[in-house]
Amino acid sequence: MTDANTEVPGGVPSGPPPSVTAPTVTPVPAPSSWRTSFASADVDTRLFGMIAAIVVIWIAFNVLSGGDFLTARNLWNLSVQSTSIAIMATGMVLIIVSRNIDLSVGSLLGFLGYSMALVQTDGVIAFFNVKIDLGSIGDSSWIWLIALAVGISLGALVGAIQGFIIAYGGVPAFIVTLGGFLVWRGMIFRTGDKQGQTLAPLDSTFRLFGGGPDGSLGEWRSWLFAALGCGLIVLALWLARRRRQRYDLKVRPLWMDTAFGVIGCAVVLAGVGLVANRYISPITGNPTGIAYPVVILIVATLAMTYLARQRRFGRYVYAYGGNPEAAELGGINTRRTVMLTFVLMGVLVGISAAIQTARLNAAVTNLGVQNELDVIAAAVIGGTSFAGGVGTIAGAVLGAVIMQSLRSGMVLLNIDSPSQDIVVGVVLVTAVAIDSTLRLGRRQVALAALVVGLIIAAFVIQTGRA
Amino acid sequence: MRIRRIASAAVVAGLVLAACGSDDDSTSDAPDGTDAAGETEGTDAAGGGEGGDCVVGVSWNNYQEERWAKWDEPALKAAIEAGGGTYVSNDAKSSAETQASNMENLISQGANALVVLAQDGTAVIPAVQDAISQGVPVIAYDRLIEDPDVLYITFDNQLVGEMQAQALFDIQPTGNWVIIKGNSADANADFLRSGAEKVIGEAVAAGDITIVGEDYTDNWDPANAQTTMEQFLSAENNDIQVALVQNDGMAGGAIAALEAQGLAGEVPVSGQDGEQAALNRVALGTQTVDVWKDARELGTAAGEAAVALCGNPDPSAVSGASAFTTPGGNEVSSIFLEPIPITQDNLDVVVDAGWISEEDLCAGVEAGSVAVCP
Repeated sequence: MTDANTEVPGGVPSGPPPSVTAPTVTPVPAPSSWRTSFASADVDTRLFGMIAAIVVIWIAFNVLSGGDFLTARNLWNLSVQSTSIAIMATGMVLIIVSRNIDLSVGSLLGFLGYSMALVQTDGVIAFFNVKIDLGSIGDSSWIWLIALAVGISLGALVGAIQGFIIAYGGVPAFIVTLGGFLVWRGMIFRTGDKQGQTLAPLDSTFRLFGGGPDGSLGEWRSWLFAALGCGLIVLALWLARRRRQRYDLKVRPLWMDTAFGVIGCAVVLAGVGLVANRYISPITGNPTGIAYPVVILIVATLAMTYLARQRRFGRYVYAYGGNPEAAELGGINTRRTVMLTFVLMGVLVGISAAIQTARLNAAVTNLGVQNELDVIAAAVIGGTSFAGGVGTIAGAVLGAVIMQSLRSGMVLLNIDSPSQDIVVGVVLVTAVAIDSTLRLGRRQVALAALVVGLIIAAFVIQTGRA
Repeated sequence: MRIRRIASAAVVAGLVLAACGSDDDSTSDAPDGTDAAGETEGTDAAGGGEGGDCVVGVSWNNYQEERWAKWDEPALKAAIEAGGGTYVSNDAKSSAETQASNMENLISQGANALVVLAQDGTAVIPAVQDAISQGVPVIAYDRLIEDPDVLYITFDNQLVGEMQAQALFDIQPTGNWVIIKGNSADANADFLRSGAEKVIGEAVAAGDITIVGEDYTDNWDPANAQTTMEQFLSAENNDIQVALVQNDGMAGGAIAALEAQGLAGEVPVSGQDGEQAALNRVALGTQTVDVWKDARELGTAAGEAAVALCGNPDPSAVSGASAFTTPGGNEVSSIFLEPIPITQDNLDVVVDAGWISEEDLCAGVEAGSVAVCP
């Protein structure tokens, strides 16, 4: 098993020492400085860097837009807009960690979204000449659940097919999923006899997946959710601490764990108190609360983190990514592991497809176009390495939030779409450049990359302002 | 080893299935494929037969939108066949390069007139000039090609933009407007915008209308349009009176954003294309206007023109053609068809034309709230 991963459960730093920080620690002799106690306490510095980046981006947009960005409403919007990409990014991390890639997610999202919509509008599951009529079930109030089940199981099936060809057929993932990219977009036009006609409107219960007017927890349930989250953070910190003590590993100073607990709880409570419950629904006049898609994202992030860090499957993925030969010789069923990462990806794409179609209240043929690039970019900005073995779920989610913050912030500033593309591209490369130079301990180069990236982004934003 | 054998067997099985699938496909829903094959044999052997001497090659740019396969192609094909011609076609799958080679391909299949739905109106010019130099006239179908020798047949896109703006302006001639445009690389987005300018330009200059947000949308993507609308609404704290949206897909996204603010039906929204979901929204009252271009009319006009060009390759001699100066300064022969703005008041037009069934149009509409839904 490698030590090259830097997983973090639920966004709270803990776990085995990241190999990245080790070389930067040893040459610094001063024992009492902040930096050393931070580094020796095994804190994921990359994650902190990303959170800092988000804070800087948010403040910058807030200043530029004259206070429009840091409003409860805009942050609530941002949280919903980020979900679809973020959920898929959690799966993409495991795929990239195991040295593969999935280019088919955007097309697959379109295909699954279209299939789910067809169940709702026509009550049929139909491909080519095959048609399964759901009959009276098609009119029942449970149709949303059937549609969801169809989408998710179809996603798992597609993932299994692609994963099988990659893992057992030995065909490179790039090729297989490039094929999938074409196949699933084309399949939209062979789903039902609609020839790509827009399918709308969708079932009213199904629409709750997309947030919207009724798709939120509401005030008191949001507080309950926050309290639960707070409890989980404290529990996770305490369990991690006890586990380390039991194995005689180095334990963080108590003040630091306490500080993490307090800060974590404060962030969760502030998220609900200052954003979700502060955003008053214009329809009901009551506090909106956390949107359902955001709840789904949080649950997915926790589940995927648990899977990646605590379950055997997740450990195998990182072990395989770190060193495929060693993993194979170590007795891991690597093929099965790789195939399962794609099945998981398919399931997550199904969930995202439900969110996107529900949000739009329609299925269209170009749903999810270019999403594969956003998902990969989110994972990579989040610190996932194409060299394999390195990457965190929480990082990928933050990566998605950074990308969406840039996008919606720029729309808020009325910056045209070509400039938006340039800025996101520059940020992507800059983020990875900083990450990889820091890994080599070259701080000056990283700083230079940051400055150059910022200058270009600022220039493009300035010239792109309408 | 065994796994490898199983895998290769699976791959072979897959290929066989794929082959069956494509066979099935060409016989069931793409009769043009069989036509194409029949035609090549036909001209070689019999030198005409039913197809006569006129072979019209159609280069589509993609089927990513609902309309091409469903409305344009059947009408185009019927008009060509009614004129004694033969229809052959291929699909460029949204690639300008593929389209250029597709056009050569059509000429080598014996086409003596081309109908081109351009992926990119500039990049396609070399292929167009190549065709014309071989004596094959070219019709620029629906989208402009900046070449003086083509025949440009389209719905008047500037007029579409004018109609969109006019319908909104009639309801709300003042206040804060947002404009959500299509793909920035598509000339139609700018035609539509300039048409709208004719209607609202004065009011904007006078300060009666303030444009508080305006943006292009990559790929005309409805999900992008939804995000854009959400951001516009946030930035203005919902103080938006009109959303001028350039097509139906994006209008759906914008209306979903309005709905989340309880504003659907209160803020007038425009669209075009006559998508079924959009016409349903017009009946429901959440979309104000859907500028309808009966694609069958366009297909028929192009088919008839193509047959005429087979006889006389001079575009200006085609009946109904008039001179049009393009934004690039070229004088082209063109045929402009007039679109129809569909609002709640004239929904019967689309039903009577067989474009949409009353059932689809009136889904979820309260009985009696619009005349066409009893």
